[in-house]
Amino acid sequence: MSDRLLEVRNLTMQFGGVTALSEVNLYVSKGEIAALIGPNGAGKTTVFNVTTGYYTPSSGEVLLNNESIVGLKPHKIARKGLARTFQNVRLFGDMTALENVMTGADSRNKVGLIGSMFGTAQSRRDEESSHLKAAELLNFMGISHRGGQLARNLPYGDQRRLEIARALALDPKVLLLDEPAAGFNPQEKVELGELIKKIRDAGFAVLLIEHDMSLVMKISDRVSVLDFGQKIAEGTPSEVQNNQRVIDAYLGVADHAS
Amino acid sequence: MSTSKISMPKFNLRDKFGDWWEGTTRNQRIIFRVSLIAFFYILPFLDNPVFGTTESDFSSVLFYPMGMYVLMAIGLNIVVGKSGILDLGYVAFFAIGAYTHAILALSFGFNFWVNVVLGMAFAMFAGVLLGLPALRLRGDYLAIITLGFGEIVRIVAINVNFTGGAAGLAGIPAPPNIFGVEFLVDDPRPYYWLVLTLTLLVIWAYMRLIKRRPGRAWEAIREDEDVAEFMGIATTKYKLWAFVLGGAIGGGAGAVYASQVTSIVPELFDLNVSIMILACVVFGGMGNLWGVAFGAALLGYFPEKLRFLSDTRILFFGLLMVVMMNIRPDGIIPRKKREKVYDKNTGKEVSR
Amino acid sequence: MDFSIVVSEFASLFLDGIVVGAIYALVALGYTLVYGVLRLINFAHSEIFMLGTFACLGVTMLLGYTGFEEPIGIGLFLVTFILITFVAAVASGSAAMLLEVVAYRRLRRKGANRLSSLISAIGASFFLVELFRLMTDSKDWDFPRLLDKNSLFEVSSAYVTADKLVVLIGAFGLMFALDRIIQGTRLGRGIRAVSQDEKTAVLMGVDVDKVIAFTFLLGGILAGVASSFYMLFYEATKFNVGFLLGISAFTAAVLGGIGNIRGALAGSFALGLIQQFSSAILGYNWRDVVTFLILVLVLLFKPTGLFGEAIQRARV
Ligand SMILES: Nc1ncnc2c1ncn2[C@@H]1O[C@H](COP(=O)(O)OP(=O)(O)OP(=O)(O)O)[C@@H](O)[C@H]1O
Ligand SMILES: [Mg+2]
Repeated sequence: MSDRLLEVRNLTMQFGGVTALSEVNLYVSKGEIAALIGPNGAGKTTVFNVTTGYYTPSSGEVLLNNESIVGLKPHKIARKGLARTFQNVRLFGDMTALENVMTGADSRNKVGLIGSMFGTAQSRRDEESSHLKAAELLNFMGISHRGGQLARNLPYGDQRRLEIARALALDPKVLLLDEPAAGFNPQEKVELGELIKKIRDAGFAVLLIEHDMSLVMKISDRVSVLDFGQKIAEGTPSEVQNNQRVIDAYLGVADHAS
Repeated sequence: MSTSKISMPKFNLRDKFGDWWEGTTRNQRIIFRVSLIAFFYILPFLDNPVFGTTESDFSSVLFYPMGMYVLMAIGLNIVVGKSGILDLGYVAFFAIGAYTHAILALSFGFNFWVNVVLGMAFAMFAGVLLGLPALRLRGDYLAIITLGFGEIVRIVAINVNFTGGAAGLAGIPAPPNIFGVEFLVDDPRPYYWLVLTLTLLVIWAYMRLIKRRPGRAWEAIREDEDVAEFMGIATTKYKLWAFVLGGAIGGGAGAVYASQVTSIVPELFDLNVSIMILACVVFGGMGNLWGVAFGAALLGYFPEKLRFLSDTRILFFGLLMVVMMNIRPDGIIPRKKREKVYDKNTGKEVSR
Repeated sequence: MDFSIVVSEFASLFLDGIVVGAIYALVALGYTLVYGVLRLINFAHSEIFMLGTFACLGVTMLLGYTGFEEPIGIGLFLVTFILITFVAAVASGSAAMLLEVVAYRRLRRKGANRLSSLISAIGASFFLVELFRLMTDSKDWDFPRLLDKNSLFEVSSAYVTADKLVVLIGAFGLMFALDRIIQGTRLGRGIRAVSQDEKTAVLMGVDVDKVIAFTFLLGGILAGVASSFYMLFYEATKFNVGFLLGISAFTAAVLGGIGNIRGALAGSFALGLIQQFSSAILGYNWRDVVTFLILVLVLLFKPTGLFGEAIQRARV
């Protein structure tokens, strides 16, 4: 159990009358890429919203490193090691790419407002480390040449990469990626797959929501399937692919499996 | 190096100046700064028919409205421009600062210099009291609440005794001499220098804050509050800081103002003040200090220079807000950043 | 503080509370309708009301009233008052539509952020207040007494007068009409569709621009009618009359759950009553402070309002 970095137990989330998640169990272990798949509206994004503290679950538990994080504010959870990206890119448009990443990096630092104003030694060290961290991550994501550009002026693919870099700047234990390949062409999807593997190999566990089956099958170590808010299957990519319930769930929405 | 430089189609003062600025050496920058500051200090002596104001005495215009507008607009800019919090009750902090000096000086004989600091402190305290609950709300609700706060402060000032009620307080003492400068009723220049000095101090602190972590946090909150929170930014804390720092500046401005006008009544502190300062911020360029300062100076200056504006200034300010939002929402000197060149390995800006 | 007055004057305070509440309701509906379609508080709505009061005044001046006449007979009154109300409704309605075009439309098309729209509306509001201040010399303007205000009959301590009856009957009639419009007409259904989900409404072929313009028109007409009731009841106006009335009406809308039409009505009557009773106890000077406090408390502790449909949190 101890290598389960993120674990969700019996998670239920209701919005008024709508049950978006019902009794869902999931986990992400050290060093793995876990995938979360399911048809539109299955509740995948809701899993992210609940684990990162945006919604308080109706019932159930969320454990990060075996410690309950239910009820904590999102920024606290982020600092404890859960970072995410968004289904629709949400960058700080009027800030440069580098600054976007620095906001994430800043959150690991101690310096506060007063320290910053007086330029204490701590503040100088922290600024330095945020700069270095951000530059390093832009390099890592292959977009270092974008550092000085405004995030909203970046090409779409680089915006997606920048979002991942910003999340990584938090030094998360688990990185939550919400459809990072949406809108990519096949070539870009392959590259992104390699990048995600590289992220895993750099020591981050990844929970990946993705509609593109070939990408999921190629890079993930374990796949969980949600349908109508319930987990209907879990296993290795090939097990899940041959599971009848999964096939049924996807019938008629075959376009997602392209 | 960037591969796709995005060209800005509109003429952009900030870019033109920025290009030049980045080409300067350290010494040139020091010379530029020193002469600019010196220019502002000798400004009251530069009264002349071209420059000077026709509607009132030039150095008094420099103190109020120009100097006051600039100082307060910079304060409000931290809140509205940097952090995207629409505060319509900024006048409340101004009033708190003014009444702090008036009451403490008249009733307890406190010295002006003590009172400025206390005025700022009380304004900050009020900011915390209001901000802690209110900053959880978003956008328009927050705007209404702050507006209500401004009105409540004024209504309370009318209805309680220690503020002198509707008749207000008169005979408020001037600041004691400092560095041999005397503060006399009929000479606004020392007050102008006082505001200028405060403004420079505020700018100094502001520049340090926005280039570092707090500045990034505020901008992130303005751009997308939810995402800022997901990125580990304590949004409530930073919003509160912005609110409180803006309040402190308003409070300080209020104390200075009270010491110059020597008598205050609640009616001075109505919603119009908040809106005029907001118009300064909007006109200059939300989020860009230089734009805001320049815009506020212009909006303070023109009504004193042009007769047709002096009676209709609020009309004009209201219209300006609509027009600016529609055709140039970023203000006359936008905050938009230009592309920068960063060192690939350290992330530091490369100076050319 | 005097609590005994609450007992001795209960019926009178209650009646006035309902009458004031009815006027608030008509203005509050404007806030709520616009909020429904734009998800924005229309900051300039109070000025649409203010403009209406001056339109009323203008009509009486054109008709030659000086304010020193004896009250007129009921037949002539009805004709005169309907004319006044009609003119005020046309003036406020068209001003509201103009406001939408000038202050909102372009920003909405550009997809500008909320802050820009708010600031634009605040600017428009200030422009209007100041324009009327300059045009009316910052004076209080008296409205001629059209109707005999002697008590018709008494219920306990309450003097029921003709003007109060006119306001109540008129306001309820109008609310009924509004309900018919929203439920029964194509544009009314458009308003409901856009309020619920703009994207889907567009897909269903709703012309959002038209619906929004119509919403402003409706809100403006309601504010115009409210202004004529207000003038009949209070018989005076001033350039800043919109501010406090606007805050009250807005508070009422929030109290009932902004975006919720029935809630706006309930909130208005509740606020009218609260104001009457609290002013009786604390003194009239504190009325607006009480209103603000209610607003603040509701926003802080129950932002969806007392009868509110849960306003959804933005989805991530
Ligand atoms: N804030 C909310 N209020 C009400 N219902 C919600 C809310 N958030 C999500 N839902 C509902 O919960 C269900 C699951 O939504 P979710 O966004 O998690 O789906 P998803 O699996 O991410 O789908 P997609 O593949 O389209 O992104 C949907 O029916 C959605 O309408
Ligand atoms: Mg989703």
